[in-house]
Amino acid sequence: MQGPAASGKPKAGQETARGGPHLRAPWAGAATLRTGGGSSGRGGVSLSASRPERRRLCYSLHPLSRLRQGRGGRRMSSGSACSEGRAAALSARGSRIAGGARGLLDKGFDLYIADPFDRDRNPRGILNLGTSENKLCYDLIQERLTRPDMNYLQPHLLQYSDTQGIESFREEIAKFLTEYAKAPKALNPEHIVIMSGCCAVFATLSTVLCDPGDGYLIPTPYYGGINSKTWLYGGIQPVHVPLFSEVTDEESHPFQLTVEKLEAALQRAKEQGIRVRALILINPHNPLGDIYPAQLLKECLEFAHRYQLHVIIDEIYMLSVYDDTTFTSVLSLDCLPDPERTHFMWGFSKDFGMCGIRVGVLYTRSHEIRKAVNKLAVFHGCPGPVQYVLTQFLSDRDWLDNVYFPTNKKRLREAQNILVDGLVKIGIPVLKSSGGLYVWADFRKFLKSQTFEAEMELWWKFLDEKLLISPGKAFCCYEPGWFRMVFSDSVDKIYLGIQRLEQMLQTKTAKPVANKTSAVEDELSNSEDETSVNHSNTPLDEISEAYSDMKKIVVY
Amino acid sequence: MVFFFNIQDVPDRFDFTLPVLSDIAGMGGGAGLQEARAMHVGRPLSERRTDMYSFCNPGEFQSSPFLSTRGNIANLFRGSTEEGYKAYHADKYDEDKNPNGIINFGTSENKLCFDLMSKRLTQSDMNLMEPPLLQYPDWKGHMFLREEVARFLTYYCKAPAPLKAENVIVLNGCGSLFSALATVLCDPGEAVLIATPFYGGITQSLFLYGNVKLVYAYLDSKITGTSTRPFQLTVDKLEKALQDARSESVGVKALILLNPQNPLGDIYSLSELRDYLEFAKRHELHVIVDEIYMLSVFDESATFHSVLGMDRLPDPQRTHVMWGISKDFAVSGIRFGTLYTENQDVANAVASLCYFHGVCGPVQHKVAQLLRDRDWINQVYLRANHARLKAAHTYVTDELKTLGVPFLNRNAGFFVWIDFRKYLRTGTFEEEMLLWRRFLDNKVLLSCGKAFECSEPGWFRIIFADKTHRLQLGVWHFLPFYITQSCLQLWPPHSLLKLPSIPGLLCFS
Repeated sequence: MQGPAASGKPKAGQETARGGPHLRAPWAGAATLRTGGGSSGRGGVSLSASRPERRRLCYSLHPLSRLRQGRGGRRMSSGSACSEGRAAALSARGSRIAGGARGLLDKGFDLYIADPFDRDRNPRGILNLGTSENKLCYDLIQERLTRPDMNYLQPHLLQYSDTQGIESFREEIAKFLTEYAKAPKALNPEHIVIMSGCCAVFATLSTVLCDPGDGYLIPTPYYGGINSKTWLYGGIQPVHVPLFSEVTDEESHPFQLTVEKLEAALQRAKEQGIRVRALILINPHNPLGDIYPAQLLKECLEFAHRYQLHVIIDEIYMLSVYDDTTFTSVLSLDCLPDPERTHFMWGFSKDFGMCGIRVGVLYTRSHEIRKAVNKLAVFHGCPGPVQYVLTQFLSDRDWLDNVYFPTNKKRLREAQNILVDGLVKIGIPVLKSSGGLYVWADFRKFLKSQTFEAEMELWWKFLDEKLLISPGKAFCCYEPGWFRMVFSDSVDKIYLGIQRLEQMLQTKTAKPVANKTSAVEDELSNSEDETSVNHSNTPLDEISEAYSDMKKIVVY
Repeated sequence: MVFFFNIQDVPDRFDFTLPVLSDIAGMGGGAGLQEARAMHVGRPLSERRTDMYSFCNPGEFQSSPFLSTRGNIANLFRGSTEEGYKAYHADKYDEDKNPNGIINFGTSENKLCFDLMSKRLTQSDMNLMEPPLLQYPDWKGHMFLREEVARFLTYYCKAPAPLKAENVIVLNGCGSLFSALATVLCDPGEAVLIATPFYGGITQSLFLYGNVKLVYAYLDSKITGTSTRPFQLTVDKLEKALQDARSESVGVKALILLNPQNPLGDIYSLSELRDYLEFAKRHELHVIVDEIYMLSVFDESATFHSVLGMDRLPDPQRTHVMWGISKDFAVSGIRFGTLYTENQDVANAVASLCYFHGVCGPVQHKVAQLLRDRDWINQVYLRANHARLKAAHTYVTDELKTLGVPFLNRNAGFFVWIDFRKYLRTGTFEEEMLLWRRFLDNKVLLSCGKAFECSEPGWFRIIFADKTHRLQLGVWHFLPFYITQSCLQLWPPHSLLKLPSIPGLLCFS
């Protein structure tokens, strides 16, 4: 787990998402995971926090195994792979897969599934503001998908079809993406591969672009599911590009990605002997909810081109932009620095609220890569009738343009406003966001200490109040105390969520947090957490400085 | 990481450059990257090209700079049916638009029941879009469907006690299921035992993601000693293949059984099944039992026994049963396969891979509705399906009899295993391939024995489950012409092999 530069302390990173002790790549058997991202300020990266503080923020994390033994143990079903007697049933790889696949987001989801909130039947159940699903437009989607034109079958839909996806479906998607991603010229249906969800796109790409043990650069925080999606079949590992909330001179906003940071992470990985093959970017970003400006996007692509890295751009929230910010799809760029190594993915799950309809789309110009992906696509096939239904769905531009998208955007904006207003009222800063189904909220002042243990403790307190939201650790964030909250649900649930949050924070926090600095000081001085190193050395004025920086960017 | 590759001898290994690989891949019809993915243990070295499974430097056969080593290998990998399927797709027969196109007798699909299935699948109970179906599922499958699958299998497999929903996992097809099972049961480079001939698609399902290979127990048409029918699977043959593999330090972790067998159409008796399972238990092998043609046994004289119907499984924790609706319900386009295993570790490990093989929520609803409709299945569907399969089978086998071509006369599946050996000159796989290509040139797609890793050259599988009117269009009347034509184009008739008739085979020449 620990790279040579890891200072001998547990780090945030893959460990969380991989469930602790199962650290080897499932595929290779040989590769050991190492963390590429660290906190060293190499390569001209300038961070406002002091080194000790950053180390504390990054390294003080319990492995999940410890969590299980403690608080978590009695609630979570054990994640360890096998019971003694049956352990022999699985191969070593199988045991790692069984034990290491489920990250925090999955575990939260499991808890929710066991006790889901229902207004009538289970009003004290867990309220799920953790899973990123758009539940605002089921009325529209349901109505459209059950119209008579949908319930139609032809013989070829029930037979084996092109593993790349039915041609007419790919043609419709090409037209759709040309228009909605604003491609400068018509996209080619031959460049499209249809698979059973974007998880499958990640699995195939990681398998054909990388060998077991290879690494990919990814800025943190990021959607933690990518860890398992690239690891289970692919056996590859993330190399973190840690981003922080402090705003420095060169950066205009918190958690800003810069090419310097990419360079630094790539260098660190090289020093640790990790072969980096790809860069993964999520745009609109999950969990930050912001959008890469066109210029930054181009810089990243050029950076990747310089090092012959593939770029996988996950634009699954492409059409869930709810403010006036201009979204630049990679498909809209006139000339790509390295078109053969640029791969775009999108799906129906988020933009159309259809997570249960497993359809993901890969767009890649490279013939060789498509050919290799197609060999694997047989394992990720979509039903013919579903491909037909979605072809019909996408071709109804009138309905999409005049009914669905305007309504969806309006509802997303309203829901986002309600959640943000509610959070602001109870004193929780939120990062400004433009797209996605969630906001990135700053709960740092509610942590007992600025550690990931404290973050987990707070997460469990939320769950005690029957509120599921996602802790920063699930996104491999290097700063404890951030949580992702999903707003794309009915208004009454969002209000209820805020209400439960408020109750919890009132009852569980010893003192009202009128003055952040003093609250933090108080919590820090009371902290008995021994694994959190150096916290007493952290100058408090730095923290307060960081918070006053935050004021510039939060939505109040 | 080094890639596991089988190459026979050292010079070959060093010459293993891209053109050579392409050449192997270009064998088509079933050769593919044969050498990369199977272990021909137990054969004399002269007969096997490739049994030194060496670790090769991946750099040696990197061909595309955009791809990883395994990406390049996947790229060069030819599935057993790929070449024929590609040719077919480029020139599909169509009554109106392309009457001179290729007729597909190669893909194992039931095209006899579209009328029944499309009617049932478009009834009002099917088109449901409730929010839970549109949301992230339990990755093992919605509980309502797993419960329905458990009830369905309990009934049709005649299980002695009700099967449990928690032992059911659903995913998007049985190819995916083979891939997932191989990945969690075997480590890279380990192997699974299977008797040849077998459905060749299993090779890629095990190899592409899992890097798991097959070890073959070779069956042949000769009837000797314990074998009372052609291509009979016996425990002796399994033992031998396993010992051969182990003596060469190949880690064999599982046995695959296909029942009803594809391409033979054989159904295993209860005592045979028990023997195979006991054999696996003795050697601590998992058994993956693929019963995908379970309900496609179309003659009442034949009784199918599911392993789920056995009173007592020798090793229930290592017995994993798979089934899907593609074949039995004639809907291969609806990607749905299911695993039944009592082993929760295996179930959970497979479920971890289900992110990649999920089944659409609305499709889960449809499948559950379908499986629930016992009256329709029994009174309408199975009756009609079996009658149609039987009629088509009779039609094709009558033609074969007229032609004087021997074949295995069985009552399950969509295929007939045909003996074209007398149309070969010296009886080699090269000639088999030539004959297969000639058929294709003459616009008839069949599957040759090599695609099933058959150890005897000259066997072909033909699919009969197509609309009779298409069959009657004249294809069958032209088959003698095709065969003669194909053979004459290849070699003069007097040079063909003269074979003695084989006991147990239906020979009408």
